[in-house]
Amino acid sequence: MTRQRLLVSMALISMCSPAFAQFSPGDIKIFGYFQTSLSHQSRLQSDPEQNSFSLQQLNLFFQKDLSQNWAAFVNFEFLNNFSSSRQWGSANLEEAWLKYRSRKEFNLKLGLQIPIFNNLNEIKNRTPLLPYIIRPLVYETSFSEFIPVEEFLPNRAYVQVYGFIPLATEAKFDYSVYLGNSPNIATPRPDSMGTVQTGVDTSDTFLFGGRMGVRYRELKCGVSASLDNVNFFQGIETFVGGAPSRFDEVRRFRLGADFSYNLGPVSFEGEFITVTYDDDLDEVSLDKSFYYATLGYHLNERLYFYGSYWFTGQDFTGIFKEANQVSLYKGDADIKVPTAGLAYSISDRITFKAQVARVLIDVIVPIPDRSQKDSGYYYTAAVSVFF
Amino acid sequence: MKPSILVFLSFVVWASSAQSQVAVIANKAVPINEIKKTELLDFYTGDTKKWDNQIPVIVFDLKLKSAVKDTFYNFLGKSPSRMKSIWLKKMLSGEGEPPKALESEEDMLKKVAETSGAIGFVSKEKINGEVKTLLIIEEVDHERRP
Repeated sequence: MTRQRLLVSMALISMCSPAFAQFSPGDIKIFGYFQTSLSHQSRLQSDPEQNSFSLQQLNLFFQKDLSQNWAAFVNFEFLNNFSSSRQWGSANLEEAWLKYRSRKEFNLKLGLQIPIFNNLNEIKNRTPLLPYIIRPLVYETSFSEFIPVEEFLPNRAYVQVYGFIPLATEAKFDYSVYLGNSPNIATPRPDSMGTVQTGVDTSDTFLFGGRMGVRYRELKCGVSASLDNVNFFQGIETFVGGAPSRFDEVRRFRLGADFSYNLGPVSFEGEFITVTYDDDLDEVSLDKSFYYATLGYHLNERLYFYGSYWFTGQDFTGIFKEANQVSLYKGDADIKVPTAGLAYSISDRITFKAQVARVLIDVIVPIPDRSQKDSGYYYTAAVSVFF
Repeated sequence: MKPSILVFLSFVVWASSAQSQVAVIANKAVPINEIKKTELLDFYTGDTKKWDNQIPVIVFDLKLKSAVKDTFYNFLGKSPSRMKSIWLKKMLSGEGEPPKALESEEDMLKKVAETSGAIGFVSKEKINGEVKTLLIIEEVDHERRP
């Protein structure tokens, strides 16, 4: 009996060992990068001319392979000279996810993550991958105090399935589908007595989105879309009438398209995003659009030049007060940025960057003498370090 | 005299072409005996991470610039900087790690022979019986083409 048990045990061990031998969970990997810059901004709108050093961004990653199919990843992000004592910048837990990969056709990510949307969303904060110092505007997270970048793009998801399916020779079909929270829903109505837990979606709706595209050699293109509900129309009933509950949650639809192509030393990439709100109101519009196109040239393995053009168009609704009358008006704010720059990698881990950008701002409102035009220049130099 | 010069020159051309022939090698335990360019590219870009028998694919690269490395990446249709960019993107997205870069072709042979699921590349004449040859890249450097 004892001998039989011993034999069974030995048989089990011999069956199990090869399976375990194929994978040994490694140590936790800690890595990251930062980008520090010097910028000169000419006078623009109410801002005076200014020169500034900045630790634009620092990201710290923690990654661990938990088994052959499971891996965990955490990303902390610090922006704009973050200092809690000085109340500068911001510190964010950008990502904390668990990934299951069974095959190339099927990957599952669970936890806080940046969903795939167009070319850049997923890698927008990976500064070592990008030649820009100032990124195409809606991806420039350090500008989020000035530009509502979160309205253009889905920034957080919690469940995502993605992968690719091989098509004909060298062609691949990429897909991703994700779910997340609707944003800002946790804010209670002003007349509500209830309290809510911050950071929690108190609605019964979700962010739902995805991307599908095709890759063929150095060509990549795709379309992206997302659907969620927002609550920042609350209170508009004061001006347009109707039941307050009608504006508790308004549906938002984002549609994107992306294209990129590399031909020898020449690269091109472009994107388009449009954001629409299903508000059914003639007198209110918060619709937005954005596009960018970048043409680049690798002079050699280390030096890359590019020229780029970005456009951001935002409808907005203002309140006009005249005598005792209060009315709404629709305006339009366009930002156009032609920009050029270079990136020089002195090693695999250190890249110097320089960029000049002309910023053209055009605000049009249907009120005499209220429209504005302005323009200015940004000159920036930076070093991006991957460690 | 003239014919002998021609024979000599032909030999030089043949010899330089032969030198730039590259063999794609793999550990003997991998479940295939030959590989297509598209499959090889998928391994080296991290798009395919497991062999059909579920063993993880371990990809090796050469650290230093060499004719062998150039021929290999020319065959894949990617410049070394483009490959670096692809690997960096995978790494920073938490999707994988770049191939481990080895000092020499001798190291490559040794590592591929002793690592389950490993794949790499060496000059054709360096192949030994310890590894499996999946593909011979016949393409020669454009500059050396007669």
